[in-house]
Amino acid sequence: MKTNIYDAVKKSVTGYIDKVTEPRVVFKRQRQIKAFIGGLIRYIFLIGLCFVILFPTIQQILMALRAPGDVNNPAVIWIPENWSIQNIKISMIVLDYWRALVNTFRLSVIVMVLQLASTALAGYAFSRLKFKGSNILFILVILTIIIPPQALSLSQYLYFRDLRLIGKESSIYMMSGLGMGIRSGIFIYIFRQFFRGLPKELEESAMIDGASVFRTFWNVMLPNARGAMVTVGLFAFVWQWNDAYFVKIFEVSTEQFPLLTMELINAVTGLKAALLYTGAINLVGQDVWENPLYLALISNVSALLMMLPLLFMYLFVQKGFVESIERTGIVG
Amino acid sequence: MNLLKIKKDGQEPQQEKKKMTISYKNQKRIWAAIFLAPWLAGFFFLFLFPLIQSFIYSFYELTPVSGAINQTFVGFQNYIYAINEHVTTSSSSFKVELLNTTADSLINLPVLLIFSLFIAVLLNMKFRGRAAIRAIFFIPVILNSAAVATALGGGDVITQILEQSGIDRIFDLEFYLIQTGLTPIIVTFIVGLIGRIYDILALAGVPILLFLASIQSVPKHLYEAAKIEGATSYEMFWLITLPNVSPHIVTVTVYALVDTFLTSPVSGIISDELKRQAWGLSSAMAWIYVGTIIVMLGSLAVLAKGLKIGGSHYEN
Repeated sequence: MKTNIYDAVKKSVTGYIDKVTEPRVVFKRQRQIKAFIGGLIRYIFLIGLCFVILFPTIQQILMALRAPGDVNNPAVIWIPENWSIQNIKISMIVLDYWRALVNTFRLSVIVMVLQLASTALAGYAFSRLKFKGSNILFILVILTIIIPPQALSLSQYLYFRDLRLIGKESSIYMMSGLGMGIRSGIFIYIFRQFFRGLPKELEESAMIDGASVFRTFWNVMLPNARGAMVTVGLFAFVWQWNDAYFVKIFEVSTEQFPLLTMELINAVTGLKAALLYTGAINLVGQDVWENPLYLALISNVSALLMMLPLLFMYLFVQKGFVESIERTGIVG
Repeated sequence: MNLLKIKKDGQEPQQEKKKMTISYKNQKRIWAAIFLAPWLAGFFFLFLFPLIQSFIYSFYELTPVSGAINQTFVGFQNYIYAINEHVTTSSSSFKVELLNTTADSLINLPVLLIFSLFIAVLLNMKFRGRAAIRAIFFIPVILNSAAVATALGGGDVITQILEQSGIDRIFDLEFYLIQTGLTPIIVTFIVGLIGRIYDILALAGVPILLFLASIQSVPKHLYEAAKIEGATSYEMFWLITLPNVSPHIVTVTVYALVDTFLTSPVSGIISDELKRQAWGLSSAMAWIYVGTIIVMLGSLAVLAKGLKIGGSHYEN
């Protein structure tokens, strides 16, 4: 009986050892361990970088929610002691926030649509409607990417002044509608690469079915280019939203048509005056607004207010954006 | 099938010609012209014409008088002034900033390329939470804004006040790290690294996107075949991913170089001079800038050709 148990145990143990040390199992286990360690290192690395990216934003949001009196309270590092939206209220007054937000949104949406239209058409023509000299023309597109806008601004300004478009948003619309907006060259490049990557059979079968060139583009190719459209649309919107250069050169941001970027820059460069001028200063005591740290805090909150709508919208778009990279290579 | 063959030969079948008055090929040409019309108009009126004009302006001294501009020809005076004498208010100069930016971009470019390729490869792997991490990685692209940067710097005036009263920024990482009891050397190293990581991440957004897209376009069967042959993922990277991605390294380099220069103090100086209505000077500066970029791109192109980076891996 005793020996039987001993035998049984020994048998099972050796069986187990045999099983464990069998080359195939060892190999499999080694691979599993390797994959696990690799995955762990990857996670640590990626999550670390994500932290670096998210850290300043989270910090700013928490900072914005402090009570104005707590600005240099050494006890407050992360979580505010007294929660308050006073800082945000003040920043909103300084920035003329809601009007500027609506205007910026309108400008960015219209520019996005115009950019999409002009660059998609040009990109399609460069990739699918080849003609003699189209490659030379495409080199010119690359040239528009390389030449800095500063080299062109003066003549463009004088040009728009003759057309009486200075100080009007239509100057920006004209730039983007004619494919010379913010980094339009890159968008044309992206669309060209994308359309080149689509199978030729699509176009050929459409042709045989009697579709015109435009119909082929509109009903067959464009729906297949959703990935590129999402990417270009996102970038066109975001870059216009963040743009301070063209808006400044063409004097688009005016008293009647305030834009967020210019309001932000103006407010930050003369914050005390802006506080006094808008009357926002009455919301806090003198001991608070005379503190330079508080002025810095307000400019940070203002920057945050400009970024938040973008972040919020990105939350909704990001799925489509990330998927668009996934499904189809932009680069053909 | 027959139709296709004929079309490829460039000859239109007889029957089709009777139906359509314009052949498909000519139709394509007409539509190409229509599709390109807005861009061409923009190119001539908003790009080529201003470009030539600014080149001419760079040789003139321009002074605005009411309703018109006074022009006096000064030859290369603007260029000489920009390089030799120009000084900005913040005790820097065009020459210094230009040299700095050039040197910086030469150092940063390889780092940026390797980093973004590495991240793209990582983000391309399959793991849990990939979508969320990818979404986070493109946040810097969205928040990368000159206006926000100005505001976060607190604006010049506020920064000056703060420096005078001995306070740097509100949230100073260095300060907190020192408070935790680390030695200053380690602290400065960590802070420098973190500062640069954020800069690189902000610049790397679009390059990561481009690399990710090009990795996605590598034919999947190559990886399958390699896996069956028992290749490790290390070997697969060097022998499949890298050669297939290399044509796009040139694209990414061009983008990164142009982007570095666009966001550098150099373009800030040019805008400032433009605002000061020193139009001839700013045109000359812009052309020096263009010249630098073209020289750099040219030498990169020569280098790429010498190292055989670029052209497709399989076709050559």
